Amino acid sequence: MKRPNVLMLGWEFPPLINGGLGIACLGLGRAMAAHSDLTFFLPKTDPDFAVGNVELLGFNHLDPPATSVGQGEVDLRRFASVETIPADLLPYVEPGEPAELRRESTATATGPPPPAGLAAFGPDDLAPFQSDTLYGDDVGEKVYRYARVAAGLAESREFELVHAHDWMTFPAGIEIKRRTGRPLVLHVHSLAYDRAGPDARGWVYDIERAAMEEADLVIPVSRYTGTICTGHYGIDPGKVHFVHNGAEPVRAYRSEKPFPEKMVLFLGRLTGQKGPEFFLEIAAKVLEGNRDVRFVMAGTGERLKELIEAGAFRDVGDRLHFTGFLNKDKVNHLLSMTDVYCMPSVSEPFGLSAVEAAQFDIPAVISKQSGVAEVLTHARMADYWDVDLMASHINELLTDPAAHAAAVEASLEDQRNCTWDAAAGRIVDLYRAELGVC
Amino acid sequence: MPDLCLYFEAHQPNRLKPYSFFDIGNNPFYEDDALNREVVEKVSEKCYLPANAMFRELAAEHGGRFKMALSLSGVLIEQLEHHRPDVLASFVELHDTGCVELLCETYYHSLCFRASGAEFRRQVELQRAKIREVFGAEPKVFRHTELVYFNELAAFVEGLGFEGMLAEGVDRILGGRSPNHLYRSPNVGALKTLTRNCRLSDDLAFRFADSGWSEHPLTPEKFAGWCAGEEGQVVNLFMDYETIGEHQWRDSGIFEFWRGFPAAALASGCRFVTPSEAVAGHDAAGEYDCHEITTWADASKDLSPWKANPMQFEAKKKILSLEKAVLAQGDPELLHQWSKMQTSDHFYYMSTKGGDDGAVHEYFRPYPSAYDAYLYFMNSLSDLQVRLRRLDGGRGAAARPAGVDALNYRPARRD
Repeated sequence: MKRPNVLMLGWEFPPLINGGLGIACLGLGRAMAAHSDLTFFLPKTDPDFAVGNVELLGFNHLDPPATSVGQGEVDLRRFASVETIPADLLPYVEPGEPAELRRESTATATGPPPPAGLAAFGPDDLAPFQSDTLYGDDVGEKVYRYARVAAGLAESREFELVHAHDWMTFPAGIEIKRRTGRPLVLHVHSLAYDRAGPDARGWVYDIERAAMEEADLVIPVSRYTGTICTGHYGIDPGKVHFVHNGAEPVRAYRSEKPFPEKMVLFLGRLTGQKGPEFFLEIAAKVLEGNRDVRFVMAGTGERLKELIEAGAFRDVGDRLHFTGFLNKDKVNHLLSMTDVYCMPSVSEPFGLSAVEAAQFDIPAVISKQSGVAEVLTHARMADYWDVDLMASHINELLTDPAAHAAAVEASLEDQRNCTWDAAAGRIVDLYRAELGVC
Repeated sequence: MPDLCLYFEAHQPNRLKPYSFFDIGNNPFYEDDALNREVVEKVSEKCYLPANAMFRELAAEHGGRFKMALSLSGVLIEQLEHHRPDVLASFVELHDTGCVELLCETYYHSLCFRASGAEFRRQVELQRAKIREVFGAEPKVFRHTELVYFNELAAFVEGLGFEGMLAEGVDRILGGRSPNHLYRSPNVGALKTLTRNCRLSDDLAFRFADSGWSEHPLTPEKFAGWCAGEEGQVVNLFMDYETIGEHQWRDSGIFEFWRGFPAAALASGCRFVTPSEAVAGHDAAGEYDCHEITTWADASKDLSPWKANPMQFEAKKKILSLEKAVLAQGDPELLHQWSKMQTSDHFYYMSTKGGDDGAVHEYFRPYPSAYDAYLYFMNSLSDLQVRLRRLDGGRGAAARPAGVDALNYRPARRD
């Protein structure tokens, strides 16, 4: 069988930006290289960072063209009509990321709407990719410039399909499909629905919806997120096919806790989507009956201060600890001491951190509103708001060694299915079955 | 013409280091030694040394006619013993002029009375012993941390043998009366209360360097005139010693002011008295019925700088709740470490007040925010809990040594 020639549109990418989206794109890209000829268009790349058999084309390293490249004019207002950015502009920050993303509260920043015309790109279009961050107040401008540059470059390249990752690259995907006629695949790692809530509307939502309507194939990272694409966004279920993320193997280790209490870990941005308030409630509930537990919230976010005060008010400040932002080594150190992982996300497309915890032999208690619940099928689950059930799951795992051991054993089986290679294979199968590519 | 009673408070806390979650169980040292040393060095150079020298000279110039009172928190004395014995010696020299009365307070500059009378008493006795050891003095007048005052405390302090106690002259308690009299809480026998004249005190403590103030620049003569013009028995000018040269910098002219003030005050007919002389020399002019806890801080003159938000409530409650467990260990070092965490400044740093008061909190806070102050404190507290649990480990409550009389514990000198 012939290898498909794929043009991927990415936004975050290691080692410059190590958010959840970047990690997923890297893992997927590595695995896809075995099945396809792959080029990644990225706003920023590190020239010293190579991925075997994948062409990484960073717009921060393009020479400004002497004349305009590409042609065509498209009006972005066709599908994006709202003038503020309602979504969390740092949607993929996890603890373990570089300083440039470590900003406390840009959650509801407003910015200028994207300019209307998508003309051929020139030197001005490349300037935004020299800046340190990919988000910020001018994210709309960057998204627009990215689309102009990507579409201009795509016109002169050979590929069979374009595969875009999340809303920042969706306008580029649509424009490339329009100019080249190649099929458009959208990979949905996260939606405005997750980041900003079910009621969120705005131009990010508009882009997501318009793009999914125009796409030939939509690949959400879980069945859960697929139901949001079809239900909430009203996308034709016939073209929505989920593919679970994989997890890179890690060198897991265990280390001795320097204190006698058990430890329960929350890892993630302290923002509404991740349910940190529920974690606090769960902690208070568990501590009512069992003081021999320390709860740790690793990460930062706009809810940090109110969470700290709420913890003090609930009288658990000596058992609920906030570490702030942590680098990957520190996160791993925490994992190596953790007894139970808790992920009470309100809406979590996937939730890779629960798999990472499983790799450290930590049983997870996760919300039913998460994609990872479909992968860690043996994990204990509850609705994110069901604090009582979450607490009783945690109590059981903390106090019953046999239950703890059985949960660890079962999660080993779950992890076996969770590889990027399996994900890449399924994606290529979808290319063939749904798009007739190769 | 009223008498003048000057009193200065000198205190520095043992600030905590940025103690993280990863330190819990690993690191039994909570204090930021480098920072604390740096602050003591700085304040010594800017305030303690030059102010001590100045007041020593004024005492010599005016014979016995210039008098003042000082209180040094036990934790400051310790820090000076450790980092700057020369500065402590200069305090001793100042006291040796005979013009300085030393007052008593809680050794740890704490706010523990409500939670534990026994702990309060322990800290007062510790401070008495320290003042005796360093200065050879027996204080007769008491001032509590930040001038905390209320009826119940006044009665307790009288029971500890004090003749007088300082308080903020709070308008809502004075009810229109002047602070320039001695008063008495309704539930005490003979203890007299000296109420701070906050208007005149704050002229020197806060407004002196403010060039936008209509009375700026304030001269010794002008201020002496105001004092002489007051009615009543005694004008109580109480403030932090650090207002001289530290909160108000040298270039504000604060040293020149104090150098000239005694002569100007004496020339205008005022007489300087120490707190115990005021107590001995005047009858109480009325009842000061203070049910609520008052202090000299912020605009609200209450405990709100230390006890207003949930972080402050929890931190203070949890550190004091360890009293029995700590005493049961019979370990002087552990007891001392726990006691130092009661110092009021830790809770002051956790204040989330805004406005003018918030700006003052901000000025003193050695951390980026109130939340950081709380987290560092609670992490340190958690470590203390872990250590207590380990010390207790296996033996169980029955096997513990009986709590030895707390008053027998003395923190070991660190030098």
